[in-house]
Amino acid sequence: MYRKQVRRRRAVLALLVVGSFALLTLTYGQGSNGLQRGVTAVFAPVSSIFDRALKPARDLINWVDETFDARGKNHRLEEELQIARKEAVGGKAAVAENAELHKLLKFDQSGAIPEGIEPVTARVIGLSPTVWFSDVMIDVGTGEGVRPGDPVVNGDGLIGHVSAATGSTAKVTLISDHSSAVSVRVVPAGVQGIVKATVGEPNRLVLSFLNSDKNIHKGESVVTAGWHGEGIESRFPPNIPVGEVTRATIFEQEAQERSVVRPYADLRNLDTVQVLTGGASK
Amino acid sequence: MILTPKITARLVIVGLFGVLLQLTFFSRVELFHVSPDVLPALVVSFGLLGGTMTGAVSGFAIGFLLDCLLIQPIGGASLVLIAVGYAAGTFRERFEIHSRLVVPLMCAILTFLAELGFGAVEAMFGIETDVSVLVVRDMLIKSLFAFFLGWAIYAGMRRLVRPALVDEATVRRTRRPTVLGA
Repeated sequence: MYRKQVRRRRAVLALLVVGSFALLTLTYGQGSNGLQRGVTAVFAPVSSIFDRALKPARDLINWVDETFDARGKNHRLEEELQIARKEAVGGKAAVAENAELHKLLKFDQSGAIPEGIEPVTARVIGLSPTVWFSDVMIDVGTGEGVRPGDPVVNGDGLIGHVSAATGSTAKVTLISDHSSAVSVRVVPAGVQGIVKATVGEPNRLVLSFLNSDKNIHKGESVVTAGWHGEGIESRFPPNIPVGEVTRATIFEQEAQERSVVRPYADLRNLDTVQVLTGGASK
Repeated sequence: MILTPKITARLVIVGLFGVLLQLTFFSRVELFHVSPDVLPALVVSFGLLGGTMTGAVSGFAIGFLLDCLLIQPIGGASLVLIAVGYAAGTFRERFEIHSRLVVPLMCAILTFLAELGFGAVEAMFGIETDVSVLVVRDMLIKSLFAFFLGWAIYAGMRRLVRPALVDEATVRRTRRPTVLGA
């Protein structure tokens, strides 16, 4: 009797494990499948209600954490900093772009964000629980015109890109995820490179240079370059602020051809974001 | 645990509530720059109260729902949480839980192993970027959270499924019988 019970348990366990592997094999590499679209359609409204209801409690705990860490933030100063940063980055990018255009004797200036892009505002309704993924769920989907590959920003700068979408929700893979790669440009130096994440450190991005003939300095801004290549899935519009160079010794640049960048956006505390829909990613 | 339809419904509700609470609350709060992960502790509680089958099936179901809601390849989280639930259930079937520290310690250890498991699943598909040593610190802090939260989750679940617990009657019988006329 006991042996029969043990055999049955092992059979169920084997079935579950084999089932998991089968599901993993079938669904790996797909953006989203019918099952996920159905489940998210049912749970998205519930998640949204949970998200709104639990916001005061979340804010309280995060406030305790920030106070404990002596990182008390002043809302007014933050807003001022945000505006100043946007202006500074926009200015630097414009100066560099202007210089390039003067060199080429072309004066037809394109906007920072190409025409035809429509921002869709979204709320973050879920976040991946493990340290290995950096994904967030937002409450807009294909119904609102969101498509995989669309860039996602907030008031501080680039957040990531839409990696999968259902009718009412979408998954945003953050720039701190190990699968993310963004083509960037350092302004005003003009050095181009690719920014990748460091697993376990969301505030540390690694900038690998593509052309390191010019030196870059600590504090310089990093903006999206606007081109895409192998391994860079999403095509971000140019000049979106990404972060600032926090470590850039000449030795490091020469020896490793890479530098460290801190993202402007606080990737662990996201509430409202904007999806830039209708761009060239489709 | 005797699984009646009523108890099964309660377990399903706890699982759904746990996943939603994890995604909308626990994943979005930070203490010491780390968010708690209560799902392994929840599955450990299922395993410790219900045994290997309940642990493994609940691990599969919770992982499945998590993968669906996060729109990621289905099965990765299930694989890890099946192992967690089965391990907790095996412990429950082979050993007596004498100390109050057993449950939180199980939650902490299995949360750490679950985080390693999630990393292993992710590594299976390839991690192309640097992995910081701070990942280990984050996993240890998550385990510490699981130590404290796991105890509360287990106590809450035990209360919720009390009518179905086989050993609960034994606990109630520990009071010495009153001898009439003595």
